[in-house]
Amino acid sequence: MANKKLTLALFSGSVDKLTAAGVILGGAAAEDMDVEIFVLLQAAFAFKKENAMVNDRVAEITDKKDEFLASLKRLDAPHWTEAFRTAKEMTNVKIHICGFAGKVWHGDKLDDFIDLADDICGIGEYMTSAEEADINLFI
Amino acid sequence: MTTEELQEIKVDKTIDARGTSCPGPLLAAKKAIGQIDKGQVMEVLSADEGTKRDIPKWCNKKGYEYLGTIEESGFFKILLRK
Repeated sequence: MANKKLTLALFSGSVDKLTAAGVILGGAAAEDMDVEIFVLLQAAFAFKKENAMVNDRVAEITDKKDEFLASLKRLDAPHWTEAFRTAKEMTNVKIHICGFAGKVWHGDKLDDFIDLADDICGIGEYMTSAEEADINLFI
Repeated sequence: MTTEELQEIKVDKTIDARGTSCPGPLLAAKKAIGQIDKGQVMEVLSADEGTKRDIPKWCNKKGYEYLGTIEESGFFKILLRK
Protein backbone atom coordinates (compact mmCIF):
# COMPACT_ATOMS: atom_id res chain seq x y z
CA MET A 1 0.00 0.00 0.00
CA ALA A 2 1.35 3.44 -0.89
CA ASN A 3 2.24 5.75 1.98
CA LYS A 4 -0.23 8.46 2.87
CA LYS A 5 0.83 11.97 1.96
CA LEU A 6 0.96 15.23 3.89
CA THR A 7 1.39 18.50 2.03
CA LEU A 8 2.25 21.52 4.13
CA ALA A 9 2.10 25.11 2.91
CA LEU A 10 4.41 26.70 5.47
CA PHE A 11 3.93 30.46 5.46
CA SER A 12 4.91 31.45 8.98
CA GLY A 13 8.43 32.39 9.95
CA SER A 14 7.76 32.56 13.67
CA VAL A 15 9.29 30.15 16.14
CA ASP A 16 5.98 29.14 17.72
CA LYS A 17 4.36 28.11 14.45
CA LEU A 18 7.53 26.49 13.13
CA THR A 19 7.68 24.50 16.39
CA ALA A 20 4.09 23.36 15.87
CA ALA A 21 4.94 22.37 12.31
CA GLY A 22 7.84 20.35 13.69
CA VAL A 23 5.52 18.48 16.07
CA ILE A 24 3.14 17.66 13.20
CA LEU A 25 6.07 16.47 11.10
CA GLY A 26 6.98 14.14 13.97
CA GLY A 27 3.51 12.63 13.83
CA ALA A 28 3.79 12.20 10.07
CA ALA A 29 7.21 10.58 10.46
CA ALA A 30 5.89 8.11 13.04
CA GLU A 31 3.31 7.00 10.49
CA ASP A 32 5.77 6.81 7.57
CA MET A 33 3.86 9.45 5.63
CA ASP A 34 5.40 11.08 2.58
CA VAL A 35 5.67 14.79 3.28
CA GLU A 36 6.12 17.76 0.99
CA ILE A 37 6.69 21.17 2.54
CA PHE A 38 6.38 24.35 0.52
CA VAL A 39 8.23 27.17 2.23
CA LEU A 40 6.33 30.37 1.48
CA LEU A 41 6.94 34.02 2.24
CA GLN A 42 7.79 34.53 5.91
CA ALA A 43 8.90 30.93 6.32
CA ALA A 44 11.47 31.48 3.58
CA PHE A 45 12.94 34.24 5.75
CA ALA A 46 13.27 31.78 8.65
CA PHE A 47 14.87 29.19 6.36
CA LYS A 48 17.68 31.54 5.34
CA LYS A 49 21.00 30.47 6.84
CA GLU A 50 21.49 33.66 8.83
CA ASN A 51 17.97 33.57 10.32
CA ALA A 52 17.14 29.94 11.16
CA MET A 53 18.61 29.89 14.65
CA VAL A 54 17.39 33.36 15.66
CA ASN A 55 14.53 32.85 18.11
CA ASP A 56 13.18 36.37 18.28
CA ARG A 57 10.00 36.00 16.26
CA VAL A 58 6.80 34.68 17.81
CA ALA A 59 3.60 35.42 15.94
CA GLU A 60 0.98 34.46 18.52
CA ILE A 61 0.58 35.84 22.09
CA THR A 62 3.68 37.94 21.63
CA ASP A 63 3.65 39.11 25.25
CA LYS A 64 4.43 35.50 26.26
CA LYS A 65 7.41 35.13 23.96
CA ASP A 66 9.98 34.85 26.77
CA GLU A 67 7.88 32.32 28.68
CA PHE A 68 7.34 30.30 25.54
CA LEU A 69 11.03 30.17 24.68
CA ALA A 70 11.94 29.35 28.29
CA SER A 71 9.41 26.52 28.29
CA LEU A 72 10.92 25.02 25.15
CA LYS A 73 14.22 24.98 27.01
CA ARG A 74 12.70 23.56 30.22
CA LEU A 75 10.99 20.78 28.28
CA ASP A 76 14.19 20.10 26.35
CA ALA A 77 12.10 20.41 23.20
CA PRO A 78 14.19 20.30 20.03
CA HIS A 79 14.63 23.48 18.04
CA TRP A 80 12.28 23.44 15.04
CA THR A 81 15.20 22.87 12.69
CA GLU A 82 16.08 19.71 14.64
CA ALA A 83 12.45 18.51 14.61
CA PHE A 84 12.39 18.98 10.83
CA ARG A 85 15.73 17.18 10.51
CA THR A 86 14.52 14.23 12.60
CA ALA A 87 11.43 13.91 10.42
CA LYS A 88 13.63 13.96 7.31
CA GLU A 89 15.73 11.15 8.73
CA MET A 90 12.71 9.02 9.56
CA THR A 91 10.45 9.40 6.57
CA ASN A 92 10.39 10.83 3.05
CA VAL A 93 10.27 14.62 3.54
CA LYS A 94 10.97 17.03 0.72
CA ILE A 95 11.32 20.73 1.49
CA HIS A 96 10.80 23.16 -1.38
CA ILE A 97 11.56 26.87 -1.13
CA CYS A 98 9.11 29.01 -3.10
CA GLY A 99 11.16 30.85 -5.72
CA PHE A 100 9.27 34.11 -5.29
CA ALA A 101 9.58 33.95 -1.49
CA GLY A 102 13.29 33.36 -1.79
CA LYS A 103 13.73 36.45 -3.93
CA VAL A 104 11.73 38.56 -1.48
CA TRP A 105 14.49 37.86 1.07
CA HIS A 106 17.37 38.07 -1.45
CA GLY A 107 17.75 34.31 -1.59
CA ASP A 108 18.03 33.22 -5.20
CA LYS A 109 20.03 30.05 -4.71
CA LEU A 110 19.45 26.88 -2.72
CA ASP A 111 22.75 27.59 -0.97
CA ASP A 112 21.21 30.72 0.62
CA PHE A 113 19.01 28.46 2.78
CA ILE A 114 19.68 25.93 5.53
CA ASP A 115 20.58 22.45 4.36
CA LEU A 116 17.11 21.11 5.16
CA ALA A 117 15.87 22.66 1.91
CA ASP A 118 15.92 20.33 -1.08
CA ASP A 119 15.18 22.68 -3.95
CA ILE A 120 13.60 25.92 -5.14
CA CYS A 121 10.29 25.51 -6.94
CA GLY A 122 7.26 27.26 -8.36
CA ILE A 123 3.68 27.24 -7.14
CA GLY A 124 2.61 24.71 -9.77
CA GLU A 125 4.38 21.99 -7.80
CA TYR A 126 2.43 22.95 -4.71
CA MET A 127 -0.86 22.71 -6.56
CA THR A 128 -0.01 19.23 -7.85
CA SER A 129 1.19 18.09 -4.43
CA ALA A 130 -1.89 19.46 -2.67
CA GLU A 131 -4.19 17.72 -5.16
CA GLU A 132 -2.54 14.41 -4.38
CA ALA A 133 -2.31 14.84 -0.61
CA ASP A 134 -4.35 13.01 2.01
CA ILE A 135 -3.75 15.92 4.38
CA ASN A 136 -3.10 19.48 3.24
CA LEU A 137 -2.20 22.09 5.84
CA PHE A 138 -1.45 25.81 5.81
CA ILE A 139 0.59 27.05 8.75
CA MET B 1 -5.30 -7.32 30.41
CA THR B 2 -4.89 -6.59 34.11
CA THR B 3 -1.88 -4.75 35.47
CA GLU B 4 -0.69 -8.01 37.07
CA GLU B 5 -0.90 -9.79 33.72
CA LEU B 6 0.93 -6.95 31.99
CA GLN B 7 3.67 -7.05 34.60
CA GLU B 8 4.28 -10.72 33.90
CA ILE B 9 4.90 -10.23 30.19
CA LYS B 10 8.52 -10.73 29.16
CA VAL B 11 9.78 -7.48 27.69
CA ASP B 12 12.37 -7.75 24.92
CA LYS B 13 13.19 -4.06 24.63
CA THR B 14 12.68 -1.03 26.86
CA ILE B 15 12.67 2.53 25.54
CA ASP B 16 13.00 5.24 28.16
CA ALA B 17 11.42 8.37 26.67
CA ARG B 18 10.65 10.06 29.99
CA GLY B 19 12.82 13.06 29.17
CA THR B 20 10.90 14.00 26.06
CA SER B 21 7.59 15.63 25.24
CA CYS B 22 5.24 14.87 22.35
CA PRO B 23 6.14 13.72 19.73
CA GLY B 24 9.39 12.46 21.34
CA PRO B 25 8.04 9.19 22.84
CA LEU B 26 6.23 8.29 19.63
CA LEU B 27 9.35 8.94 17.55
CA ALA B 28 11.46 6.95 20.03
CA ALA B 29 9.02 4.04 19.62
CA LYS B 30 9.14 4.37 15.85
CA LYS B 31 12.96 4.32 15.86
CA ALA B 32 13.16 1.32 18.21
CA ILE B 33 10.51 -0.88 16.61
CA GLY B 34 12.93 -1.69 13.80
CA GLN B 35 15.32 -3.21 16.33
CA ILE B 36 12.98 -5.99 17.50
CA ASP B 37 11.58 -9.00 15.67
CA LYS B 38 7.96 -9.75 14.91
CA GLY B 39 6.34 -11.23 18.00
CA GLN B 40 8.72 -9.51 20.43
CA VAL B 41 7.49 -7.09 23.08
CA MET B 42 8.64 -3.50 23.57
CA GLU B 43 7.80 -1.19 26.45
CA VAL B 44 7.91 2.59 26.19
CA LEU B 45 8.43 4.57 29.39
CA SER B 46 6.88 8.02 29.19
CA ALA B 47 5.62 10.80 31.42
CA ASP B 48 3.89 12.56 28.53
CA GLU B 49 0.13 12.14 28.94
CA GLY B 50 -0.66 12.29 25.21
CA THR B 51 1.56 9.27 24.58
CA LYS B 52 -0.96 7.01 26.33
CA ARG B 53 -3.37 7.64 23.49
CA ASP B 54 -0.86 8.08 20.67
CA ILE B 55 0.88 4.71 21.00
CA PRO B 56 -2.31 2.57 20.87
CA LYS B 57 -3.51 4.50 17.79
CA TRP B 58 -0.09 4.19 16.18
CA CYS B 59 -0.06 0.44 16.89
CA ASN B 60 -3.45 0.08 15.26
CA LYS B 61 -2.33 1.91 12.13
CA LYS B 62 0.98 0.07 11.84
CA GLY B 63 -0.36 -3.40 12.61
CA TYR B 64 1.29 -3.85 16.01
CA GLU B 65 -0.56 -5.21 19.03
CA TYR B 66 -1.09 -2.72 21.86
CA LEU B 67 -1.00 -4.77 25.06
CA GLY B 68 -1.75 -2.17 27.73
CA THR B 69 -0.39 0.53 29.99
CA ILE B 70 1.02 0.15 33.50
CA GLU B 71 0.82 3.22 35.72
CA GLU B 72 3.92 3.90 37.78
CA SER B 73 4.77 6.79 40.06
CA GLY B 74 5.14 9.86 37.86
CA PHE B 75 5.31 7.92 34.60
CA PHE B 76 3.81 4.92 32.83
CA LYS B 77 4.88 1.93 30.77
CA ILE B 78 3.18 1.22 27.47
CA LEU B 79 3.56 -2.34 26.20
CA LEU B 80 3.19 -3.45 22.61
CA ARG B 81 3.96 -6.53 20.57
CA LYS B 82 5.43 -6.20 17.07
